[in-house]
Amino acid sequence: MGIARTSLKGVTHHVPSKTYNGYTLFTPMSGKDAWLIDMQGRFVHRWGTEPYGPVFARLLPNGNLLYLGVKSGGLMGPGLAYLHGDEEFEQSEENRGACLVEVDWDNNLVWKYEAPQSNHDFYRMENGNTMYVKYITVPDDIKNKVKGGIPGTEQNGVMWADALNEVTPEGKVVWEWRAYEHLDPGIDIICPLEYRGEWTHMNTCTILSDGNILGSFRQTNTICIIDKATGNIVWRWGREELGHQHEPTMLDNGNILVFDNGVHRYFSQDLDYYSRVMEVNPATNKIEWEYKADPLSEFYSAIGGGAQRLPNGNTLICEDVAGRLFEVTPDGEIVWEYINPFFGPFLTFGQCNRLYRAYRYGLDYGGLKGKTLDPNNHKWINGVYGPDTS
Amino acid sequence: MRIAQTSLKGVTLNILGKTYNGYTLFTPLGTKETMLIDMQGRVVHQWNMPYLPALYGVLLDNGNLLYGGYVEKGSLASLKGAGGELLEVDWDGNLVWNYKDPYLHHSFYRMPNGNTMVLRWVKVPKNIAVKVKGGIPGTEKDGIMWGDSFQEVSPHDKVLWEWLAYEHLDPEKDIICPLCPRSQWTEANSFTVLPDGDILTSFARTKTICIISKTTGDIKWRWGSGGELAHQNDVTVLENGNILLFDNGTHCISFSLGYSRVLEINPVTNKMVWEYKDDPWIAFYSAYMSSCQRLPNDNTLICEAQTGRIFEVMKSGRIVWEFVNPFPSLFDRVYGHNNIIPKAYRYGPDYEGLKGKNLEYSV
Repeated sequence: MGIARTSLKGVTHHVPSKTYNGYTLFTPMSGKDAWLIDMQGRFVHRWGTEPYGPVFARLLPNGNLLYLGVKSGGLMGPGLAYLHGDEEFEQSEENRGACLVEVDWDNNLVWKYEAPQSNHDFYRMENGNTMYVKYITVPDDIKNKVKGGIPGTEQNGVMWADALNEVTPEGKVVWEWRAYEHLDPGIDIICPLEYRGEWTHMNTCTILSDGNILGSFRQTNTICIIDKATGNIVWRWGREELGHQHEPTMLDNGNILVFDNGVHRYFSQDLDYYSRVMEVNPATNKIEWEYKADPLSEFYSAIGGGAQRLPNGNTLICEDVAGRLFEVTPDGEIVWEYINPFFGPFLTFGQCNRLYRAYRYGLDYGGLKGKTLDPNNHKWINGVYGPDTS
Repeated sequence: MRIAQTSLKGVTLNILGKTYNGYTLFTPLGTKETMLIDMQGRVVHQWNMPYLPALYGVLLDNGNLLYGGYVEKGSLASLKGAGGELLEVDWDGNLVWNYKDPYLHHSFYRMPNGNTMVLRWVKVPKNIAVKVKGGIPGTEKDGIMWGDSFQEVSPHDKVLWEWLAYEHLDPEKDIICPLCPRSQWTEANSFTVLPDGDILTSFARTKTICIISKTTGDIKWRWGSGGELAHQNDVTVLENGNILLFDNGTHCISFSLGYSRVLEINPVTNKMVWEYKDDPWIAFYSAYMSSCQRLPNDNTLICEAQTGRIFEVMKSGRIVWEFVNPFPSLFDRVYGHNNIIPKAYRYGPDYEGLKGKNLEYSV
């Protein structure tokens, strides 16, 4: 790896008067930990996620940690195995799949749900159930109507699509939605440079306050709203703007925030070298805010990534591939930046410091009430990976 | 701009005894200064050119600099890689030769016979353009599809030979990348004249490298269109006959292959015999421009244009020298505040073109 690239780690920039003060949760993809750091980059809490490698974690309002864990040596679901094109990652029953795991502050197991076909998002609903995205196969008669992608690249003739499953704490599936029953082959066309092994690759299932689901189909460069009652896709956007996007969320003003990776944008006539975070109004389909770097190429993650709107109007952005978290003001000023110091091997990506997602929690967040957040309890890790104290 | 990324500049690594000791020539995209630096990153010589680079200069063995200049008001000035004038200047910057053609772009080559092979744009006739496949429908530039052409130009500016790509390309094989506009068919971005006189060229938009016969004009060899290449650049030929090129990796097949590599290919067996990628692979990426050069000590000098980073790697992939462009650039309307170096080349201390030159660093 180049020297210049690895030079800085931890918090590299911090303007205290402009940031949203709080704690940042992240799970290095090369490890088996979930970390909570303060604004200075000091570690204040750790959950060990052995035996799972955590894809990402959410700190729930009740103070528990809910994460999607992948078994050692395995991959979530069959779809990702072929995507990474490596026979080593053949799915066997032992190493297949993922698990939704909920632990308390002290890492005691509270809930676990085996989700072998999981894609990579989950959401804890207000009713206590958990929604997650699952791979299912597309029936042949529908598969043959799906357009786009590179001809003949189904996975041994199989095309995968996505399903949403709502699971109770008792592990019962009480609602299921199958993408192939609602997608339209005339509209939902696979990117011409992608494999036909997957129609959608749904990497997000955000539950909206009205119970509907905000989804993201990476293969078709589309974000959508699914009506819970009917299963209909009532809104689609992005084919002319997005490039393999991640993590759309809805803001208080009704706009949708999304991380536009910028790979294989259809109509921009750009090469793939910059990502953006944008806010789109679903009523007008207009982009009302956008963050890009200057130069453009300084902010780019071909895979993963996410964005979180903070209560002070700033946005916390997770630039997955660069292992970089940063907070920007509405004017695009970077007021906090953190580089994940944990490097390690991860799948076919080599020695990386990838961070799929990260979240900031404010000082008054319910899930942090009464919790001890003292960096002195983590002297060793702070001595090695924390900020310089001299 | 990202804070962490801007941290280190200049020479960040220099492992004595493992590098090919010499001088590195480059022109940052947003400046008119062409610089020659030593292994410590000190500027030992500089030429101040009248134009921004389109996209680089080379030090000829006669000690002159041959440079592609970007003429801002040119006919196709808005196209990437647009040039418009070639200039040859001596060590002190005096003009020795220049050649103007508003359609020049990307690359050029001074041949052993003293002529210069140039690359230029020509319009693809409509009856041929309609047969060209691929690209985004309806995106011809003002209804025109541009194509590539080579011309061999004498020192007296006479065009002695011309090759028009559209007369030799095959619409069944030379298909435009599905995510690119149909404003150009091939978008040649690099070429070299082989020892036998044939031309080896990189057609970025069709993701192919080709060898063109000088005598017949036929395309006698193609490689890369089966998904092996993704908007590649900088083709050169090695002494062993293998081809070295920079595979940028943009608009690749499947998102997960989005990284850059330098490849060495045997054109007889069509097999890749050496490859450089970083670990993690995503740490080495430049969507555009970039260069690669095999050095006499078997190392390879690589210029990752997007980050202004020039580095030397051993065959094993170990980096033994790294330089990050510290020089400020003009704001570019496409690339923003950048430190892009399109291409960079190293010359050894015994290079013919450096004989008798003062290479002492002085403040």
